[in-house]
Amino acid sequence: MKLIQNKSHFNYLTPVWALLVFLIATSSSCNKTKAPETGGKMIIIFQHSVGDQELETDTMKYVNAAGNPYLVSEIQYFISDVCLHTSGGDSILLTKWEDIHYVDTDIPETLQYNLADSIPEGDYSYISFTFGINEEKNKSLMFVNPPESYMFWPEYLGGGYHYMKLNGKWKDNNGVITPFNFHLGIGQTYDSAGNITGFIQNYFRVVLPQSSFSIKNGQVVEVILNMDVNQWFEDPEIFDFNVWGGDIMQKQEAMHIGCMNGHNVFSISELSILLLE
Amino acid sequence: MVISTGYFILLGACCNGKPPEPYKPEPYKIKIPFGFPTRLNIPGDNPMTVEGVRLGRYLFYDERLSGRTNPDSMMSCATCHVQKNSFEAGIDNPRFPGGFVHGIRGKQTHHVMLPMINLVWNFEGYGWNGYLYPDNPDPLKRNLEDMVREAVLSPVEIAGDTNQIKELFQNIKGYPRLFAEAFGSNKITFKNIERAIAQFIRTLISANSKFDKYMRGEVQLSQSELNGYVLFTTEEGADCFHCHGGFGNPLFTTNLFYNHGMDSVFNDPQDRFAVTGDPMDHGAYKAPTLRNIELTGPYMHDGRYNTLEQVVDFYSHGLIKTKYTDPLMHHINTNGVQLTPQEKTDLINFIKTLRDDDFLTNPEFSKPDKFPDDF
Repeated sequence: MKLIQNKSHFNYLTPVWALLVFLIATSSSCNKTKAPETGGKMIIIFQHSVGDQELETDTMKYVNAAGNPYLVSEIQYFISDVCLHTSGGDSILLTKWEDIHYVDTDIPETLQYNLADSIPEGDYSYISFTFGINEEKNKSLMFVNPPESYMFWPEYLGGGYHYMKLNGKWKDNNGVITPFNFHLGIGQTYDSAGNITGFIQNYFRVVLPQSSFSIKNGQVVEVILNMDVNQWFEDPEIFDFNVWGGDIMQKQEAMHIGCMNGHNVFSISELSILLLE
Repeated sequence: MVISTGYFILLGACCNGKPPEPYKPEPYKIKIPFGFPTRLNIPGDNPMTVEGVRLGRYLFYDERLSGRTNPDSMMSCATCHVQKNSFEAGIDNPRFPGGFVHGIRGKQTHHVMLPMINLVWNFEGYGWNGYLYPDNPDPLKRNLEDMVREAVLSPVEIAGDTNQIKELFQNIKGYPRLFAEAFGSNKITFKNIERAIAQFIRTLISANSKFDKYMRGEVQLSQSELNGYVLFTTEEGADCFHCHGGFGNPLFTTNLFYNHGMDSVFNDPQDRFAVTGDPMDHGAYKAPTLRNIELTGPYMHDGRYNTLEQVVDFYSHGLIKTKYTDPLMHHINTNGVQLTPQEKTDLINFIKTLRDDDFLTNPEFSKPDKFPDDF
């Protein structure tokens, strides 16, 4: 078993970013108020892009902020705990089965998420969700059927499930094409001998900008949610594959950068109100 | 009165005076092992029944499945699928040296065998390239029933003739009644032969290895086996788990297809590309289950490796990079995961914990003591 090098190149928790993280975490926390049986519905449709271009897989045509040319083969991830927030500070957690949704760019059926809960009539100022699965729910063998079961995160590394597998290849500084597995999940801390000393929950809340809507009974709010792949490597911290390499499941610092950047990966392409049929 | 009398006369004429037995097969319920998927690949037109499985087991082992009775030309599924080798031929098979199977006409199959275990959980496609899959536009290439038919008819396997086979079994005392109990008719059809054997194959479940017992908290692994388990499930180790499962995927396979760096030239007309037409699938094959793998050599789709040591050496130092190499093979630029000799030993010791002796000797899967001729 090789020792994991402890890379400490970035002072990633500056006071400004720490404050922002705190504000986002507290403002997007969701209370446990459940949705009523009557009302409207929500559908989320997932799209994937690189910058403003629709994602094209297996094509070496993208360059990230670190200057790494790269391609994407597939993306698989979980979102959970979708929450609707009002301007008055109230929130509704949409918890009915299924409250954890799996997205897979190779499985078209997963690109539409029909939330089972009914949404009470009213005005909502924004939508938030957990990227990944929170620690309360992220337990091994929670999913026994594929494709979700294939996302298992090894027990030795913390158990539960991958939050995301973003697989592809990049061209390194010598022009050599190298596979990458940008996988996020529970992180580990290690001692100097390479033994695991603890685990870190890396899931995070995403607050969707410009996600306000009003809904009446019998209506459906359709949210087209876009993941900009480049953002995983860019903002607030530049992620350079030449620094971190192609595998990060055992590199908490690398995963942490991914999770910080993940707050800015999602945006709403379109939000429409439709009539429920 | 005349009509009702006539009805009973007719009934008596066809059933020797006794009312016909109602067709009432008993459902066969698969017990899901700990951690295994709950979704089962059982087609709606072939629900599993006790009677169907029972009949399927006879047919699986009955060498008259070839439609012939000359000893030189008799062959059944079990001729190649040997229980003690996890239903593969086995590398020491006296009839098939090196484990390379050939059909009744002596011609070798295109690829070597795949494990015939836990197939009821496979929705991704059967075969090294997954050509038999549920959504196949060709309705004759969707499931295990089709695999049975292909094996029985294939010139490189049993090379049978459907009419000959049906006629032969129709005239074997005991079989028509078994077919009636399983499918409601004593007229034997080839479709029902396929169905019965497929039902039996679906019962071949291996889930009681040493590792399963460890998962259930019943036994402890040795230190070497534990070290191997860590290597198996870490990216910094051997990184087997993304394709070959683990605690969270006890099938020990995703049943999916990968180009894992075996070759630089791809000219196999039966790789995954042949099914999907996706250029990235050149040289891709199914990642088989590792359950009982120590018994199921030779390894890889063409049987190029005889031992687990050779396989581990391949993954450690022998990977070949092409543009089709799957991104999960992220050690490709160093030709592999670069394990030390001790790490290789530990990894193999862990893999051997996937051997399930209960499965390998379970009498429910074994050759029947007698066949329906004697019923």
